[in-house]
Amino acid sequence: MKALRYLLPPTALLILLVAPFVGEVPLHLARLGETQSIDHRIFFELRLPRVLLAFLVGGILSLGGLLFQSLFRNPMSTPFTLGVASGATLLSAVAILTGLGLYAPLFAFVGAMSTVLLLYLIGRGAEGYGTDTLLLAGITLSFFYAAALMVAYAFSDIEQNFEIMRFTMGSLEISGYGKVAMLFAVALAFVLYSYRKREGLRMLLVSHDFAHLQGMDVRAFTLGMLTLTSAAVGAAVSIAGPVGFVGLIVPHILRILFAQSAQRLILPSFFYGGIFLVACDLVARTLPVQIQLPIGVVTAFVGAPFFIYLIIRRRHL
Amino acid sequence: MAIVVNTHSDTILHDISLKIPQGEHRCIVGANGAGKSTLAKVLCAIRPSEAVSVKGRSLHRLSPTERKKEINYIPPRLEIYDPYLRVRDYLEMSRHGTRFGIDEAMEITGITPLQEHRCLTLSSGEAQLMMTAGALLHDARYTIFDEPAANLDPLHTRRLFGILRNEQLFGTRIVITHHLDLAFHLGYDILCMEEGCIVFDGSSEDFFAQKALQRRYHGAIARHADHIVTEFL
Repeated sequence: MKALRYLLPPTALLILLVAPFVGEVPLHLARLGETQSIDHRIFFELRLPRVLLAFLVGGILSLGGLLFQSLFRNPMSTPFTLGVASGATLLSAVAILTGLGLYAPLFAFVGAMSTVLLLYLIGRGAEGYGTDTLLLAGITLSFFYAAALMVAYAFSDIEQNFEIMRFTMGSLEISGYGKVAMLFAVALAFVLYSYRKREGLRMLLVSHDFAHLQGMDVRAFTLGMLTLTSAAVGAAVSIAGPVGFVGLIVPHILRILFAQSAQRLILPSFFYGGIFLVACDLVARTLPVQIQLPIGVVTAFVGAPFFIYLIIRRRHL
Repeated sequence: MAIVVNTHSDTILHDISLKIPQGEHRCIVGANGAGKSTLAKVLCAIRPSEAVSVKGRSLHRLSPTERKKEINYIPPRLEIYDPYLRVRDYLEMSRHGTRFGIDEAMEITGITPLQEHRCLTLSSGEAQLMMTAGALLHDARYTIFDEPAANLDPLHTRRLFGILRNEQLFGTRIVITHHLDLAFHLGYDILCMEEGCIVFDGSSEDFFAQKALQRRYHGAIARHADHIVTEFL
């Protein structure tokens, strides 16, 4: 485990550096400097933005998972298990269905926020976030959203149907830097805000009563964190679609590897979450199969066995 | 200055009114389920109530920063979600006053050797002493200790007694306890609760008078050679 701890940072950097150079079409390094060459265009217009997008989406989803697990004091809580990402997905599908696809990010944000608000109200009604109530409520909402998504499919024409399906499968295919720049701004605000609030998070990780007694407005703090997390996750989902597992696996792996409290894992969660998705995308792009696998499938296939391995081995690490 | 409760009622407490002036410590005693801990949570606004006021202002309406200076509550058991939190981390978060440093608070409570231990690996007695150190560092005007001796062995109980008796260490103390001998030797005024109501609010001498004990505890508790003991037979 110690060796893994030391190997992780250089491996992560290596993945990040190598990822844009690897893909279906082999690149000639010498031609990258020639602005008119196809190699230059593939590298700068397709591969680099894709890697950057994967990094930002992975970082946001991973940090979102860490924060949800801390705020709800439940190791299974992530924006995905609690239905927040499903809410964003559904509303993005509604945007496509109503011909407002351009406003999908806004719709995703509304979907994520309204889900969080619902969960918050349910949590207040059930007097506490530590209970399984929220998780069950989140799972129920996810099922509800899945059913509503089916209705969206039923009402869509073939073109919309294909667009919604592509979106729900998750994809990191982009060209250019417009969306990357937008998500970079969101990610920066998300990381800085979370980092500034790390002391509050540390108090909440003792208990809500403890945080209250230390002079924290627990309700305002929780609402602020949930709002920003949902906004960031909504933005990531609106661009890349619902990519599961990242927020569940990465924070847990980091916690086991580094044996640190959540407030010390804010920056590592973002960084390694980003690396995790870049690595998964690398796998998706380089598999010797005819079709490119949806990124959500790869994250689950890569992440789930490793997570189970860690759970089994944890006592011996 | 005083903390005042003006007719508070909820599902557990009934028509609670009391006044604890600053510097006048209290012991709250009563049977299990009498509402002692609930009253403590009302007093520190974990259970918000408009009936509680400090300096003539509703405690519930104070800003969180003002509230933390006024009152602190030490629960009977340590509740921590984070398995990686160490004793020193806990104490760092508890430090709001300037009278004590972390090392000094650990020395007073005898937990210096535990400072790098994870909080969840502490025994219940050690956790109690850590929370007491946290209360020293918090340095609120009022500190409520909920069953501070429940998990302590005799030697640690003696140390805690010395800490609670030391006028230099805390502001006004409100000690909830079943340990009647501890309450007796602390000598604070007694507030006794039964079924959500205050049934006695007076001096320690009056409460621990032999006849009063006989009447209240039907012979189960007695005063012998300056100690309050349980009569098992």
